[in-house]
Amino acid sequence: MTHPTINGKPVHPAARMYAREFREGKLSRREFLARATSLGVTAAGAYALGGLAQPARATEGARDGGTLRVQMEVRALKDPRTADWSQIANIYRGWLDYLVEYQADGSFKPMLLESWEINEDATEYRLQVRQGVTWNNGDAFTAEDVAHNIRRWCERDVEANSMAARVASLIDDETGLAREGAIEVTGDHELILRPSVPDITLIAGFADYPAAVVHPSYNGENPVDVPIGTGPYLPESHEVGIRSVLVRNPDHSWWGTEVYGGPHLDRIEYIDFGTDPASWLAAAESEEVDMLYESVGEFIEILDAIGWTKSEAVTANTIVIRPNQVAEVEGMRPYEDARVRRALAMAVDNSVCLELGYSGLGTVAENHHVCPIHPEYADIGPAPYDPEGAMALMEEAGMADYEHELVSIDDDWRKNTTDAVAAQLRDAGMNVRRTVLPGSTFWNDWTKFPFSSTNWNMRPLGVQVLALAYRSGEAWNECGYANPEFDSKLAEALSIADADQRREVMAEIEQLLRDDGVIIQPYWRSIYRHYTDQVVGADMHPTFEIHAYKLGLAA
Amino acid sequence: MGLFFLRRLGVMILTALCLTFIVFFLTNLYPNLEKLAKTQGNMRMTDAEVTQWLDNRGYLQPMPVKYAQWLGVAPGWTREFQQDGQTVVTGRCLDGAVPAAEAAEAPRFCGILQGDWGYSTVFRDSVASIIGTRLGLTGYLMFWVMLLMVPSALLLGVLAGMREGSRTDRTLSTFAITTTATPEYVSGVILIAVFASSAVGLRWFKGTATAAMENPNFENFFLPVLTIALYGMGYIARMTRASMAEVMTAQYIRTARLKGVSFPNIVMKHALRNALIAPFTVIMLQFPWLLNGVVIVETLFNYKGFGWTLVQAAGNNDIELLLAVSVVSVIVVLVTQLISDIGYVYLNPRISVT
Amino acid sequence: MEPLTWTGALGPVLTPLMMAAVALFLLALVANWGLSLAGAKSGEIAYENGQAVLVSRSPLDYSMMAMKYAILLFLACCLAYIVAGMAIPDPRTKGIIGTVAGRFAPVWIALLVTFALSIWFKRRLGLYGKLFDSGIGMVGFAIVMFWVFAAIFGGPLDLIVTHDPLNQISGLKNEPPGSVVPNAAEDGYYPYYLLGGDNLARDVFSRMVEGAWEVMKIAPFATLFAFMVGITLGLPAGFYGGRLDTFLSFLANLILAFPVILLFYLLVTPEIVETGIPVYMAAVLFLFPIIFVSVMINSRYYTQPGFRTPVLAVVLVVLGWLYLSLVHQSGTKIDFLPAALSGLDLFDIPGGILVVFVAVMFVNSPTVFRIVRGLTMDIKTRDYVAAAQTRGEGVWYIMLWEILPNARGPLIVDFCLRIGYTTILLGTLGFFGLGLPPESPDWGSTINEGRKLLSIYLHPALPPALSLLSLVLGLNLLADGLREESLRD
Repeated sequence: MTHPTINGKPVHPAARMYAREFREGKLSRREFLARATSLGVTAAGAYALGGLAQPARATEGARDGGTLRVQMEVRALKDPRTADWSQIANIYRGWLDYLVEYQADGSFKPMLLESWEINEDATEYRLQVRQGVTWNNGDAFTAEDVAHNIRRWCERDVEANSMAARVASLIDDETGLAREGAIEVTGDHELILRPSVPDITLIAGFADYPAAVVHPSYNGENPVDVPIGTGPYLPESHEVGIRSVLVRNPDHSWWGTEVYGGPHLDRIEYIDFGTDPASWLAAAESEEVDMLYESVGEFIEILDAIGWTKSEAVTANTIVIRPNQVAEVEGMRPYEDARVRRALAMAVDNSVCLELGYSGLGTVAENHHVCPIHPEYADIGPAPYDPEGAMALMEEAGMADYEHELVSIDDDWRKNTTDAVAAQLRDAGMNVRRTVLPGSTFWNDWTKFPFSSTNWNMRPLGVQVLALAYRSGEAWNECGYANPEFDSKLAEALSIADADQRREVMAEIEQLLRDDGVIIQPYWRSIYRHYTDQVVGADMHPTFEIHAYKLGLAA
Repeated sequence: MGLFFLRRLGVMILTALCLTFIVFFLTNLYPNLEKLAKTQGNMRMTDAEVTQWLDNRGYLQPMPVKYAQWLGVAPGWTREFQQDGQTVVTGRCLDGAVPAAEAAEAPRFCGILQGDWGYSTVFRDSVASIIGTRLGLTGYLMFWVMLLMVPSALLLGVLAGMREGSRTDRTLSTFAITTTATPEYVSGVILIAVFASSAVGLRWFKGTATAAMENPNFENFFLPVLTIALYGMGYIARMTRASMAEVMTAQYIRTARLKGVSFPNIVMKHALRNALIAPFTVIMLQFPWLLNGVVIVETLFNYKGFGWTLVQAAGNNDIELLLAVSVVSVIVVLVTQLISDIGYVYLNPRISVT
Repeated sequence: MEPLTWTGALGPVLTPLMMAAVALFLLALVANWGLSLAGAKSGEIAYENGQAVLVSRSPLDYSMMAMKYAILLFLACCLAYIVAGMAIPDPRTKGIIGTVAGRFAPVWIALLVTFALSIWFKRRLGLYGKLFDSGIGMVGFAIVMFWVFAAIFGGPLDLIVTHDPLNQISGLKNEPPGSVVPNAAEDGYYPYYLLGGDNLARDVFSRMVEGAWEVMKIAPFATLFAFMVGITLGLPAGFYGGRLDTFLSFLANLILAFPVILLFYLLVTPEIVETGIPVYMAAVLFLFPIIFVSVMINSRYYTQPGFRTPVLAVVLVVLGWLYLSLVHQSGTKIDFLPAALSGLDLFDIPGGILVVFVAVMFVNSPTVFRIVRGLTMDIKTRDYVAAAQTRGEGVWYIMLWEILPNARGPLIVDFCLRIGYTTILLGTLGFFGLGLPPESPDWGSTINEGRKLLSIYLHPALPPALSLLSLVLGLNLLADGLREESLRD
């Protein structure tokens, strides 16, 4: 590539600044790549700017054809914008493409967008749509299609449309639809977005798993029934809980073959082995699958031992043990008092949770849900651990005798971590009752449990998670946290394109979260995936994405 | 004889009706419906949205009405909506939203009596086809279980009961008791660890039977079969032993021995038939009991048969699938009881059905 | 500190002896098989004073003798471990086996006392005493009582366990048996994890012992209550026959037609608990023991009202109070006692346990009903029943004081088997993640927990699995012994 940016325009000034910071050691490689590419620098350009060696493409050496069997939960599909599981997206990712794709190294790769350009205060995005892309029914792919999809994402009143939160700055508050003038198609392959406030997260939002681009004729039905997309595969069968099969679409020439290479495989089978990691291991040992969706806990060692290849992704994926501040238990709100919440957090040593809950495969977190790999992370020191002080605080709040019911899902690491928290709370002298619910039951009420643990997948930027999970009234605000001060600080942070400046606000936000005792957040997980030595292009992705076109079998 | 069958059939239908009504009642309790709405719609619905969702799908009608609709003795519900300026109708007997004119032509009744088993909310497929496939897979599993379990249990029991109190008897009986004392979730786990894991390193078999659904072979199918068979075997063996021991003390056997008939001949020609009457009933009554084992083993080995479907349906409150599952299990239980009664009569000429 | 070895200082002495015993046994066994296949007969037997005495021994007899002595030697070694475990104070000398055996000291003593007393008085103890005539029965009884005592001493009396079963000690996750607890002295812990740590760094040994208590708390009582329900309904059904019988049998068959797992899924999920159905079921099912006991007393003493009325009143008040305490749970659907009277509420059963208890009871009672009904139909044709009828005894007297005692043999046998079955059912519930709280050290949940990592760590799953296996085995053997002895009557 001759141009350092995806559109041949000059490099965004902030990107050059990041490159400087990176070379000075202020930024990690991942942060630098994430920020630079989201500003429209190509991945190669970013590597060059940062003086890094371009990594070899993972799919080199894949032969054409073959069948790959992947262990993965097979869930019922739904309208992509309402998808709530990465697994769902991995299936329709076979025939639906994305505008941009988040890479394991933290960069953003242009897919259906050829390039984008963001003005300096992040209030205008100029998107160039890739030329020569066709839908698999023969229609040409144009800027109008992109606009249609963004407008779909903006439909805030559609049940469970989680994209609305990601494109909130394009939505008109009154109508709950895309704001007049926010999306403007300026050519066959060009459009302009105008967020109402400076918004740096749009491109990252477009890479999120519910952001698959659907055909204008798509009307919310089961995507398997109308597999019209731009992608290289087609669904052959989809049996919930059993398996889902993607086959190469022979009648469609995929745009990406020329640009990125692939697809290699004829057939991808996602086979459901339930939620018990022991049966995933059994499947691996019996050679019934070639690749796991995720390897967890002790099984990582075992899989290493049986000679499978391990792929690791360092992530901001995490578990949060949170009291729900508005939940009522027997007529009172036990967690309304910040002292109670702070006491809970103080009684827990996060490193013990990491050891017992996740075999130490991660880094200790600091109870504020901003990860050191996020560009705007501000170091405010480790979370305080003081069991005696915690109990004193609990007594002061008059809740010393209260029996806390700690709920978690029944699985490996989430349950173990929560058990470890329960044990430490007991050690500190609190009464704790543990409830473990099977997955099918747990998610019914997860936002309402008075005190429970939830896992959070990573978002490329720290502010994205905070906006999703802790802003007042958000659908996913399971803590029932409503603090106007936090909201306004977060809004401020969301408008600062420069991470260094943002960091100052972030320090305050982080401290606020910790002082309010909003969450116990013990650690950041590294995530792992194993596959046989025959599989190429299956590297673990920080958000569990499986990119069908990259997968292949070794020649 | 005919009257006997008619009566049994009547009881069977009455049992099935009562049982499905109980299942219907329990699965249609509001907390369960709420769970259904949230798993099918989405997890973050508000209470009002849940009510709306349920109402639109006919779940909020009175319980007896819903049950009658499921049976097919009451007309299925319909709802009219305005969509894109025209009236569309959704309903129990309609596939999605259809224009009013088309809806008028659809059948009004669609329940069990009309052969419509409904639609599974978890698997997004028709219940009849799910039950058909899954039952077939479990039937195959059971066939092999029986093939392994019954002969070995009978052999064990006959050998032990032949000479009651002998060392062979004690050894075999202890073995039989041990297998009945080892539930499937213990033996299955141990078998997987020993024969399928790389830790012990034998790896003779596969620890999962998922592939056996399409391509069963000794390697991937033996462990699940063995796990179920072991647990059931001990019980049948002990029954056979008791019955054999009793027969061996009977007068006619003693007479035969005194006449000088050789021991093998006594066992084979004189004792065996009479000794097998009791185990036959036990074996038949084992079917419903084996269903439990099937649920555990299918879950443990990821063999997606009937037991696995039961767990999925129950875990997700998939009402119509659960009802179908209970109908099938009632039929299995009652039919095996019937066969065991008839078989008892057939094998024992002293008793007749009338 | 060094981690403990399995056998400690006793190992060099006892291990070779035990190995030798095993080798001798196997050798003799093979020889025995070979000889009998080759057609060898045992030696000549002569009769002296009516007793058979071997006059000359054949090789077959020698092989038998060798087997016998090998077993005795092995048992002697085991005994040596137990005695050493109790006598030697230092765990490093006696090793893991010795220490574990030593921790069970109260159980051994209690077992010894029980057996000594029982055998001493066995002629006066009826069916129970006869048990001690049957080898199988004694072995079964010993195993069952071992776990009963372990449960009592380990659970409420806190004697055997070395650690709190829920306590996690950092650094001991999945550590092998005999691991040293870091900083034990400062923190006041027992210095070793005798059977290692589980996946959450809890002590496997203590959890196993506590698990016995969890099982003993539920299984026998749930079975007992199921028997009360089954007997209270089964007696009249079998005695009267007719419509009542048809109706009750239909109900029983209805419940039996349910696959147990489906029933559990329908009853034990949090959603159903929310509706209060299990609490209502408990309210109904727990009525049966009261009915049972009061009818029993009434029918026996109704001719002596002066004696009956006070006894019945006291019993009813006590049972009624227990019933109310049991059924009333503040915060659930049945929350009827006004706050002022909450002192009356003696105890609360945790919701999870109550549901499991009710479900297990509910599943078991129809089978008991069928057995009782069958036995009643059989016994009611006997002469002594006719005699009682001509004496003019009331029907309930006949059922409870004539028929029931005569049906006790098969019922006791079934009771033992059914406790085992209930134990297995509890484990099944644990396997599907229903019922008991997940941290509960009960065997089913621990097995389910341990099985996930079984392919690398055997030690967390095996102790509870073997415990469950041995308890159920013991109950089966006990039932067998009882059956044999009661048949001899």
